[in-house]
Amino acid sequence: MNGIAQDRPTEHAASRWPRPLRRGPMEAVATVLIAAGVLMLLQPFALVLYTYSFVTTLAGVVMFTIVSKFPD
Amino acid sequence: MTGLATAHSVVDPSPLTKRIAATVVIAYALVTLVPLLWIVMTGFKSPSDAIAYPPKIVAEPTLEGYCNLFTTRSRQAPEYMAKLPPPSGLCDRISRDRNMVIAGPSNYIPRYVNSLVIAFGSTALSIVLGTLAAYAFSRFKVPLKDDLLFFILSTRMMPPIAVAIPIYLMYRELGLSDTRLGMILLYTSVNISLAVWLLKGFMDEIPREYEEAAMVDGYTRLQAFFKVVLPQATTGIVATAIFCLIFAWNEYAFAVLLTSGTAQTAPPFIPIIIGEGGQDWPAVAAGTTLFLIPIVVFTVLLRKHLLRGITFGAVRK
Amino acid sequence: MTEQTGLSGLVDRAALVTPPVVARRVRGLSERAIAWLFITPTMLLLLAINIFPLIWTIRLSFTNYRANRPNATVLDVGLANYQSILTDPDVWAAMTVTARFVFWSILIQTVLGFTLAWLIDKKFRGHGLWTTLILLPMMLSPAVVGNFWTFLYQPQIGLFNYVISALTGAPASSFQMLAQVPLAPWAIVIVDTWMWTPYVMLICLAGLRSIPDYIYEAAEVDRASPWRQFWSITLPMALPFIMLAVLFRGIENFKMFDMVNLLTGGGPGSTTEVASITLKREAFEKWRTGYSSAFAIILFVTVFGLANIYVKALNRVKSR
Repeated sequence: MNGIAQDRPTEHAASRWPRPLRRGPMEAVATVLIAAGVLMLLQPFALVLYTYSFVTTLAGVVMFTIVSKFPD
Repeated sequence: MTGLATAHSVVDPSPLTKRIAATVVIAYALVTLVPLLWIVMTGFKSPSDAIAYPPKIVAEPTLEGYCNLFTTRSRQAPEYMAKLPPPSGLCDRISRDRNMVIAGPSNYIPRYVNSLVIAFGSTALSIVLGTLAAYAFSRFKVPLKDDLLFFILSTRMMPPIAVAIPIYLMYRELGLSDTRLGMILLYTSVNISLAVWLLKGFMDEIPREYEEAAMVDGYTRLQAFFKVVLPQATTGIVATAIFCLIFAWNEYAFAVLLTSGTAQTAPPFIPIIIGEGGQDWPAVAAGTTLFLIPIVVFTVLLRKHLLRGITFGAVRK
Repeated sequence: MTEQTGLSGLVDRAALVTPPVVARRVRGLSERAIAWLFITPTMLLLLAINIFPLIWTIRLSFTNYRANRPNATVLDVGLANYQSILTDPDVWAAMTVTARFVFWSILIQTVLGFTLAWLIDKKFRGHGLWTTLILLPMMLSPAVVGNFWTFLYQPQIGLFNYVISALTGAPASSFQMLAQVPLAPWAIVIVDTWMWTPYVMLICLAGLRSIPDYIYEAAEVDRASPWRQFWSITLPMALPFIMLAVLFRGIENFKMFDMVNLLTGGGPGSTTEVASITLKREAFEKWRTGYSSAFAIILFVTVFGLANIYVKALNRVKSR
């Protein structure tokens, strides 16, 4: 009971944060970036994709690290 | 009611289903055990039996592989052999039969001892440091707790070869190359992530009330930690220690890149046991058997905690 | 990254709810001091053995340093190392070799491991003992056991070749698992599968056991067929666990070194040259330290990214 009551204030504080910039959706974007980077690194089809794989993964990692500080 | 559940109930599959499941699982288990049995069996074969075609399942057992594992031998002329005093032991007799004389002990025992020292040393260090850190992470508000925990875990995920490059340079500067201390520190840094995560899981399960009651009784936080929490966490600490031991015992990449002699462990040594004309398979098998026995024992001891160990404490049941 | 809050968050909340009946006797050290005292040694060790070398690697990756010529002048080459790695078709080839190895070994292990777990979950008599026996290979040293597999793979005398020839009728000396281009990758996949299927199995088994009986009982009441139950209950509910196993095996196999180094050493030619082997050759045989540092950073960032996703998956499973 107490636990539920205590969750409310944080929810309220977070609601001022714009919805698309909350942690959940942003983390999903970062995850997709990382996954895309890894797939680009490992795919056997185009050298261009391989060349830009590292930048993509790096962007995903940096983004993941930053957005994990955003409120839920 | 549930006692009367039909035979089709998923809660209790039908006897036929169980029998089929048992057959498939047992068949798989037997097939995967064949390579292990073959290792043990090859260790007791003579070199010619080991490489016979078709492979010999039943061969006359001999300790030649073990003798060759522990000794180095040199081939001698028959005239020289004839002048020698009678053989003093089993291995001596076996090598005489092959026109060889034992020249001295092999490097297997020193390598095995290195493995023991490094594995136990790094485990002890990981457990001491890990227990303290895990307790702090479990009980106190630590700023950036989640980031620190993730950082600790991520160090374990790093490709060993990538880590080996700077470690190689650093150890060269510090004079830690090819030393047991260097390997102990390195394995500790890898194992500590597992130790912290696993031990934190175990400590989270110990009710806080125990310490709080002790502190009401006049213990300080430190006393409560040592006299109340540690005894409660013994099982977890032992399980974690075994996991660390197994990792350090099995590790190969760092060992092969960073050690060459005095601190070399058994894993890089066993593949280079060679006899006359290529690998001495019975000796390799003997060395492998002796190397694997401790792990098999530990696995059986650990079986209830295996799942926890391989998921960094996340999955408990 | 901060998803670990699942359990620790719960504990923290429990602590907040607990009324401060405990008179905090601040005898000796304060709680904050103890927390730092306990964490600092671990952090110092990791800083010295992980972070400091990592920073050093990043620094070196922008130079042409060679570890076997410590006295040569070190030039700053900017991003040239990264550029040459990321445009080199040979390195790309090593990545695709790695990819194929990861893909096939994980696919086979997942299918086999899940099937085994599903069968063991039928709880036949003696399943505990057989489970422990099946788990044995994954605890053993990949290097030491992988080395012994080279014996099993010997063309004429190896047990593996003998069994295959007995099963297929092909002569045992007609194929060489480790020396033939089409076979060598599969030789590694087979050993990896032998070793790590138990790992996937164990995690899947946990997933299957986490499904409460009442869901199946409800499905029985609704007369859902076993086939339907499998696809709409068993598989979806075990999926987070399967994902966890796939991710971890993916990371491990991406950086696979031990087994490949001992079984084929990257050969024949470069058919089994996975990324770690390339890196080892560049770093410890050609001694191109700067170049291999850049390569190490690329692998490092990739693994770090995957580790982020892994921890997310870990927390999803933990909350169950």
